[in-house]
Amino acid sequence: MLPFFADLVGRTDEARREFETHPVVLDAVANGMSIERYRKLLLELYHVVWHFNPVCAAAASRMPDTHRDVRYFLYEHMHEESGHEVWVMNDLEAVGVSVAATRAHAASPDTLALNGYNYWSADRRHPCSVLGMLYTLEVLASVYGGTFAAAIRESLMLDGERGISFIGSHATMDAEHMVTLREVLNTITDDAARDAVTEATLLNFHHITRIFGAV
Amino acid sequence: MNSDSMARLAALMTRPYKYLRLEWNAELSALRVRTFVKPIQCYSLAGLTEMQRVLDDIAATPGLVRHLVLTSDVTGVFNFGGDLSLFVLLIRARDIESLRMYGRRCVDLVWWLENASSRGVHTTVLVQGDTLGGGLESVMPFHKVIFERSAQAGFPEVLFNLFPGMGAWNFVIRKSGFSVANEMILSGRLYTADQLFRRQLVDVVVEDGEGEAAIDAVIQSVNPRLRGTLAALEGRRMASPITYETLMTIVDKWTETALELTDRDLRLMERLARAQVRKAGGASDGAVAELKRIELDTAWGEERTGITEWAAL
Repeated sequence: MLPFFADLVGRTDEARREFETHPVVLDAVANGMSIERYRKLLLELYHVVWHFNPVCAAAASRMPDTHRDVRYFLYEHMHEESGHEVWVMNDLEAVGVSVAATRAHAASPDTLALNGYNYWSADRRHPCSVLGMLYTLEVLASVYGGTFAAAIRESLMLDGERGISFIGSHATMDAEHMVTLREVLNTITDDAARDAVTEATLLNFHHITRIFGAV
Repeated sequence: MNSDSMARLAALMTRPYKYLRLEWNAELSALRVRTFVKPIQCYSLAGLTEMQRVLDDIAATPGLVRHLVLTSDVTGVFNFGGDLSLFVLLIRARDIESLRMYGRRCVDLVWWLENASSRGVHTTVLVQGDTLGGGLESVMPFHKVIFERSAQAGFPEVLFNLFPGMGAWNFVIRKSGFSVANEMILSGRLYTADQLFRRQLVDVVVEDGEGEAAIDAVIQSVNPRLRGTLAALEGRRMASPITYETLMTIVDKWTETALELTDRDLRLMERLARAQVRKAGGASDGAVAELKRIELDTAWGEERTGITEWAAL
């Protein structure tokens, strides 16, 4: 049997490339973004990051003992990701959005759909689906984060990591996370969990592509 | 053509391809495959799967297809080779199984082409734009390789500490000898169509816009003596054999080497991937322009300061 990580890469490859295909993503990775659009994107990302740990917690609390490795992985991951919404707020401040404005921002329908799906799937579909959310976010960070951060820095003439600390640092950090995530995914052998992770990956790529497309 | 062959041809032509367009010339039994992989014209997993499906369909009905022609429908690009963003993903995840699977699927594709004459199929490829790394490797096993004059090609992998592992050594050595293979693979340089013709890797160079006529000319000249030509090409394979085992051993070495790439190597790979995306987004420059910049950076940097941009990455 193919290790699940390899299977997941293949089953969701087109969704990953659909993300790459989107004209906004193509343009952003190649040429960066205007400051207005970058602000809009970070504001949406703030809501994704803010709900990341609660989704993980919801999944961990429902995880059956048969997947205890996944539950322990989520504990550690939540610990590492704790407080990262502050990085997004700092980046937003660096590009002219106050903390109060960030907290008051209403998420777009696409972001609500993304977060809503992730809560629902952890609750009602299968708790392992949370790994689809993690896989998607870590692919985005480790594969596209570096080039996107560089393009944003150039186009907005930002200084060092100022304004791109969240995206830039996750590009490096998530490379290490990818190794751990692969190991955890390869512990999953039952079809129900595998299908749930695959569905969640496809849905997360779909919604994130729409979030990028709307900024 | 009997009813079974008709049904198989209909199945082949009507599959829902996303990245290929197929045309059938019944008079010549010629199948034309046009590729347009989105967003980047490269060997993505889905693109490879579709291409392999076409080749499997051809193999399932011996005698149905006598001529296979491959071209690109993407202006200015024949094929950028490997899916660089997928490589970055798999290398960062330390996923040797998936990397090996990808490499082996590429080898299966070139191995099918290598065996095309034994299946009664003559193969022709027309390159009208940039073709890099795995894109150039996929061209090498074709029986007739046509380049339009503005097309450029090369094996840039060594620039990011990798090497072309899906047949480049075997096919370049067979066609042009060790010294050309060494020069091309170890330098990472880009070559014009004329330079490749002089190195005997390209059979025909035509002016831009004359590629279609060149395909017709090749098929019209081969078709009346197809059986003899294919038998001769089989003899050529026997005289200079390439084995599946050697191809697989090399691609396994490629897999191990890819896993050893450092962050600096991956950043250079990402720089090329970003240039590919720039071209896919409609810019006039792309990976080829980026490679030229890297070559210039290297030459000027080493001469003037001893520090290259590559070293600075």
